[in-house]
Amino acid sequence: MKKTFSVLALMLGMYAANSAAFDLGKILQLPEENKKQKTEQPAQQPAEQSSSASPLMLLGKTSVEDEVRIGRQVAGDLLGAAPLVKDDTLQRYVNTVGRWVAAQSNRKELNWHFGVIESEDINAFAAPGGYVFLTKGLYRRLNNEAELAGVLAHEIAHVSKKHHLEVLKKSAMIGALSQSVSKEIKSGDQAVQNLIGNGAEMLARGLDKEAEFEADRVGVVFAARSGYDPWGLPTVLQDMAAINTQDNRLALLYKTHPTASDRLARLGEAVGDRFDSLPTGKEFPDRFYRIK
Amino acid sequence: MRRLCGILTLSLASSLALAAPGVALKTENMLSKPSATSAAVGKMSKGMAVDIVAKQGGWLQVKAGKTQGWVRLLSVRAGAGGSGSNGLAGVAGVAGAVTQKSDPSRVVAVAGVRGLNEEDLKGAKFNAEELSRLEGYAVSASQAKAFADKSGLKAAKIKALPKPDAASGGETP
Repeated sequence: MKKTFSVLALMLGMYAANSAAFDLGKILQLPEENKKQKTEQPAQQPAEQSSSASPLMLLGKTSVEDEVRIGRQVAGDLLGAAPLVKDDTLQRYVNTVGRWVAAQSNRKELNWHFGVIESEDINAFAAPGGYVFLTKGLYRRLNNEAELAGVLAHEIAHVSKKHHLEVLKKSAMIGALSQSVSKEIKSGDQAVQNLIGNGAEMLARGLDKEAEFEADRVGVVFAARSGYDPWGLPTVLQDMAAINTQDNRLALLYKTHPTASDRLARLGEAVGDRFDSLPTGKEFPDRFYRIK
Repeated sequence: MRRLCGILTLSLASSLALAAPGVALKTENMLSKPSATSAAVGKMSKGMAVDIVAKQGGWLQVKAGKTQGWVRLLSVRAGAGGSGSNGLAGVAGVAGAVTQKSDPSRVVAVAGVRGLNEEDLKGAKFNAEELSRLEGYAVSASQAKAFADKSGLKAAKIKALPKPDAASGGETP
């Protein structure tokens, strides 16, 4: 990782020195055949999407529209690996709780989407633009609505802090500079696919540790601001800490996250006595929806 | 640290449904009640094995050696073992009983459901149909507000938490 970044820094330096010849926009432009392919697959295109790709979507300040396009692609890729649990009540419930927590974030204007995916793994994911997922395996371990709110709040925090978007920007620039923009036709948003590759793969790579610690700190505050017991997320982390770290269901989580123990300790440093005077939040153990 | 773990016998009294092993993440006073203003009854040291007896809000009642008292939820981690990376099989399963009440189905094997590993994600193909289903479940901000109002969830102004000084050494290596 470190090595990649230093290589990138070098390349950027080189290009900066030769900026007149550096037309990144051209490199990122869609090949003609891909544009054609796009129009032939209207069902797989976001309705609100403009027909022309904005090749500079990942450079500098990304527009919200482009961020949502990227997130939509990542979400569609993830759903290709694990579909939604076929339970309308569950999905609607998670969207309601999630949307309320997201309303307390700095990005309440996004069209947030939440989903429980069909997997016994214990994990949760976020993609840019307001797409949040948790596995059925994790959902089943939750005891009340405050814990659900805590898990969703951690993921909402990733979106609010644009953690994945930053990672994608870096990797997409590396891809663009090496001129390896894929010409292979795939379904989905071809322009985005060309830029970021398989979006789900990004989720398998994860973020750096500091981004995870930050999402814990920001997440507990979002949950508390929503009126929930702020200890939902820490309680879920305690549950994970008690599971054998060699358990297969946690393999991907621990590949992409610090240990639950480190996260608890680090969050403890940040919280200290700061939550001592908070009003008692709600947990709703009774109305918490349980998967049949 | 190892010796401390050894000294404490991890006996789980069957009468205490919540008793589960844990490890102190920091040195902290043990208090008589789950409140920062209550009296100290003892002290747990970082790395010490404890028994988690009860949970209340942001507090855990723990037994460390012969002392029993309340410490902050984030000052202990559940699970046996000396650090975050060597949870012991078997004992960890007992510890899990603290929070697995809601999970009656976990012993039932679910046929046909895959795990979600790195290879699954790398090989994933965009699924437009599922994405469209996902978007069909969207809840608007006003719907979420109505849900919160109905259940007495009130938005509160709470300050962001500061990033802790990385050098202060609270994390296990």
